[in-house]
Amino acid sequence: MSDLEIRFSPSTEQDAGAFRLVELPSELCQLIDSAVETKTSQPILSIKGHPTEDAVVCTADKNYTLRSVVLSNTVLVLTPSRTDPDGTVHVRDQLHDVLELVPSVPKLHKLSVLLRGMEYDEGDEDLRTTLPKYSYEQARAEIQASESELRVGLRERRVLVLDGYLRPIAPAHLNTILELLLNYLISLSLVHDAAPVDDLVSALADDHDISRGVSIQVMSWFGRIEENTWKMDVNAVVAEIGLGIIRHYKLELTWHRVVDKKHEPILETEFMTKWKNAVGDTFESAVLLQLLSVRSPPLCTFSSNESDIRVQRQGNYLRNTNNVLGTTLNYFAASALPTDAAARFAELFLTHPRWKGDEIEPFLSDISVNAKERDKLLLKHARAITTPEGTWYTARVGYNN
Amino acid sequence: MIVPIAVRPLHAFSPKLAPSIANLGHDGLFLIELQGMLDVQGSESTSKDGQLIGTLNTADMGKPTLVIGHHLLEGKVVTLSKPLGVLHKHVHVRNDGPSAVHPDVSEDEDEDNYQCEAQKQMEKEKDENKQVRWDVIAVVKKKIVFSKRPMPIAKPASTASRGIAH
Repeated sequence: MSDLEIRFSPSTEQDAGAFRLVELPSELCQLIDSAVETKTSQPILSIKGHPTEDAVVCTADKNYTLRSVVLSNTVLVLTPSRTDPDGTVHVRDQLHDVLELVPSVPKLHKLSVLLRGMEYDEGDEDLRTTLPKYSYEQARAEIQASESELRVGLRERRVLVLDGYLRPIAPAHLNTILELLLNYLISLSLVHDAAPVDDLVSALADDHDISRGVSIQVMSWFGRIEENTWKMDVNAVVAEIGLGIIRHYKLELTWHRVVDKKHEPILETEFMTKWKNAVGDTFESAVLLQLLSVRSPPLCTFSSNESDIRVQRQGNYLRNTNNVLGTTLNYFAASALPTDAAARFAELFLTHPRWKGDEIEPFLSDISVNAKERDKLLLKHARAITTPEGTWYTARVGYNN
Repeated sequence: MIVPIAVRPLHAFSPKLAPSIANLGHDGLFLIELQGMLDVQGSESTSKDGQLIGTLNTADMGKPTLVIGHHLLEGKVVTLSKPLGVLHKHVHVRNDGPSAVHPDVSEDEDEDNYQCEAQKQMEKEKDENKQVRWDVIAVVKKKIVFSKRPMPIAKPASTASRGIAH
């Protein structure tokens, strides 16, 4: 028998709209295949988003934007009939669109707005009850990012999880803790790549009233805790201390031009001296300006697979070589810039009319999935000029008039 | 808001497709693409339940045919550029919620108002108790496409008689 009767489903009303088709990228295909093999009924994907946002699909570690593509044809979903599986099939649903998945960056930018006013600072223990609260579970449900992206995002943003609630640590307080950690490493004569966690945590708690939970989380951001010993990531600690200093020399941006009346830039030589003083003699040799724009160092330096190390850079400072007094530095963080690509480029070109390729790159890494997409953004929003010194990027549009 | 998606392949007890169709890669589900759409006349939404649409002939999978009414369509099997996951919606209505218990309302409250409020409340609770879950029930890699113009045929019964002749 090669003839099949096609019939409507016996329960059309219940079936209509109950089916959707999703185009699967190869990674997701593998994920589904492995779930079929292991027979897990645990959800492996989730669709996340507020009704006003574009929905995303998250796996355990990746994030895809969900888009509906309208088809001019009709796709019928057919299944065999229960009573006559060999001779009859039922049309379960008629579809006119297919869902498409496009890899996208985790939408973590919302966090900083949501967590406004929930900063954790020194002597904060008594205030805890009165503060507005936002829990980790809430963030997991509302932030459009996969679980591991959310964890990395929280660490990059230096957000503590205290009693299940999210509390971004005040930068000054974080710096205090790090400087104290460096001091205790020296004064207790501990080695920085295998320091006993308990000794450091107790010292901070007893002498400076810094809660154990806080210091352990800070230590895990800046190194790895294994079997009660802390392997400090020297570069990460040094970089964070440097950021703490340069943060006082923030570039003030106003409409039409850049003015830095309130916050003068700092001379590069002066900054380096301050930085070296802050980290102390032992770690002085690790001080390097480029450290300031290395993103999430713990992930890079401790990656088990050497070839997997991809240093992602995130812009944090601006260097100006034209000043009469010498090279100056300003604090200028990519994380504070708009997330929309057009607005980001507008702000970048308002700040600096022209950028070198490797200068602008750190300011684009958090809005593009990979280098290819970053270059696409550059192609779309900037004009490239090749000179003997390298490639310069200028604005495609006149932002100043 | 999170909508969880689990992988729950059609289980072993579900009916299986005829072997010629199962060759498309899945034994419990397949896709047909048509130009245009099935136009059904009739007012009641349940009146088309189980009604016959047409006949699919899969004797030669290189040239499947579909007869709908007086039209004969010739199709082909196409491998999809990207595999398609078929998602199926499950709506759970939880009964463990507080929906069965009505909130106590003081007696002097306006009767109409109370009813209206209570109804709204119930609807809201019904929505809250409804849990939507989507399952990936199959991954499909091929489909049958009928993209050519339908050819009119004089007697729709002709294909059926051919079937008997075999």
